[in-house]
Amino acid sequence: MTTSTVRDVEHHALYDDAGRAVRPERSDLAAAPDGVRLGFDVYGAGDPTLVLMPSAPIIHSRQWKAQVPYLSRRYRVVTYDGRGNGRSDRPTDPTSYHDGRYVADLATVMDATDTERAVLVGLCTDGVWRAIRLAAEQPDRVLGIVAFAVGVPRIAPPQPHYVESGKTFEEVLPTHEGWAKNNRHYWRSDYADFVQFFFSEITSEPHSTKAIEDAVGWALDGSVDAMLADSEASFPFDLGAVEAICRSVRCPMLLVHGSEDTCQSPARAHRLAELTGAPLVIVEGADHMIPGRHPVLANLLIRDFVESLGGRGR
Amino acid sequence: MPIVFVPSWSIVTSRVWKAQIAYFARRHRVVAFDARGNGRSDQPASAAAYAEVEMALDLLAVMDATAVDRAILVSLSLGAHRSLVAADRAPERVAGLVFLGPSMPLGQPVPGRDIDFDAELDSDEGWARYNRHAWLRDYAGFLQFFFEQCFTESHSTKQIEDAVGWGLETNAETLILTDEAPGIDKPTSLAIAAGIHCPTLVIQGDEDAISGPSRGFALAEAIPGAELVVVAGGGHIPNARHPVLVNLLIERFAQSITGDMG
Repeated sequence: MTTSTVRDVEHHALYDDAGRAVRPERSDLAAAPDGVRLGFDVYGAGDPTLVLMPSAPIIHSRQWKAQVPYLSRRYRVVTYDGRGNGRSDRPTDPTSYHDGRYVADLATVMDATDTERAVLVGLCTDGVWRAIRLAAEQPDRVLGIVAFAVGVPRIAPPQPHYVESGKTFEEVLPTHEGWAKNNRHYWRSDYADFVQFFFSEITSEPHSTKAIEDAVGWALDGSVDAMLADSEASFPFDLGAVEAICRSVRCPMLLVHGSEDTCQSPARAHRLAELTGAPLVIVEGADHMIPGRHPVLANLLIRDFVESLGGRGR
Repeated sequence: MPIVFVPSWSIVTSRVWKAQIAYFARRHRVVAFDARGNGRSDQPASAAAYAEVEMALDLLAVMDATAVDRAILVSLSLGAHRSLVAADRAPERVAGLVFLGPSMPLGQPVPGRDIDFDAELDSDEGWARYNRHAWLRDYAGFLQFFFEQCFTESHSTKQIEDAVGWGLETNAETLILTDEAPGIDKPTSLAIAAGIHCPTLVIQGDEDAISGPSRGFALAEAIPGAELVVVAGGGHIPNARHPVLVNLLIERFAQSITGDMG
């Protein structure tokens, strides 16, 4: 009798060396205009390049773990950690998290990876809104946008629990039940409990324990100071300006939103579809974290979108 | 090389192999079928109909019906009985044996499972649910408990929900008959195991809370030349909970038999 012991995924020789289905061709740091260093990875060598944008600073580039292996077999895939998490620097002043800094980070990573133009794939405000801004400001660099959980500020009201907890974010509260955890002092006292609550709320489909555990882990890789600094950064556009930017986008877009999205109201997706004329896919029963929780669907939607672009502009 | 996925206890259907079928069907002819007592198969009304010998003859009958002369037999849990008896009766038809969490009367049982199946108990707690009266009282509750023990790993809610659904395709009355049916005792198991000469792979979770890991270890020891792979942290149904790992192990085993990609 021969005996061996294996542990699923972790360091098993049948898999890749660290339990990942694919390893990056290149990993490095790139410096943004304000000096903040950003950790990035490049996978595969196909065409076009897809930039999978971070939802920073709450989580980092591993949020795309279910997309990278599939997409990098067909396309060149770039991921990066947003400022404030992962391998990237974690400044603690709110000005470092100004909206424009995030857009400049995207351009910085595209430059550092010799990516003249790319399809941008984003989730929530951090991914979707900054992709839209780059497409509006530097249209030659954006072939198309796949927007999951359309987090465009202002164009429809935020979820009521954000409005409510936002009112008392700075206060010392007598309770930390439910969305009262979304509070500066509670973040400081028990950030782990906040992120556990937060990702459980916004990943409410059955059978999400792994997706929640992953997201909590990525959040705990980050920094409460960065999160607080980001929360203090003011948003520089009013509704009219946001709508004008959205209307000015000329590249193809695909909007994908869960019917049960607890983080970004589906009304925002409907409104962005009106503003841009982009097709909107509503995923019935899905909450916020569609790429992590419904990876096959997300991957096929991304693939079909990229294929629909044909050779345009490549 | 054809692969036959041998039915397990009639508490599940052949869908317990759902994470194997698509992968292996790309490379091999794959045969899976429901054990008598669940799924599309008949549910005879006598305990004798569920004897392990009958189950083994079913396996050979399905191989006949699908024109599979010789195959690798992959079994799970109680399916180990059927595989062993079939390999004993028709060794020329068995190219290799894979056992996942084999539930044989070897090694040590799981502590706390020595519940009297027929007694009227005043509890529905824990393994007291493994009881004829408890099944008749609350079959769904038993299924939920049982499959929670099958999947001790974290992130198993989907596997538990799937398995409870398969369990609900049969009923307590039928499952009671399967429990009453004659199995294979320890001396017979050891005698058959000692006579196995085909390549054999045993995959055993070291946190198997249904059969206990020592049953798998003991079977691997009893079969000459068997390879034992212990899944660290693994529960009773590794093919459902660790499908990629288990598929790759089985495929490597199949390639070692055929000497090529199948």
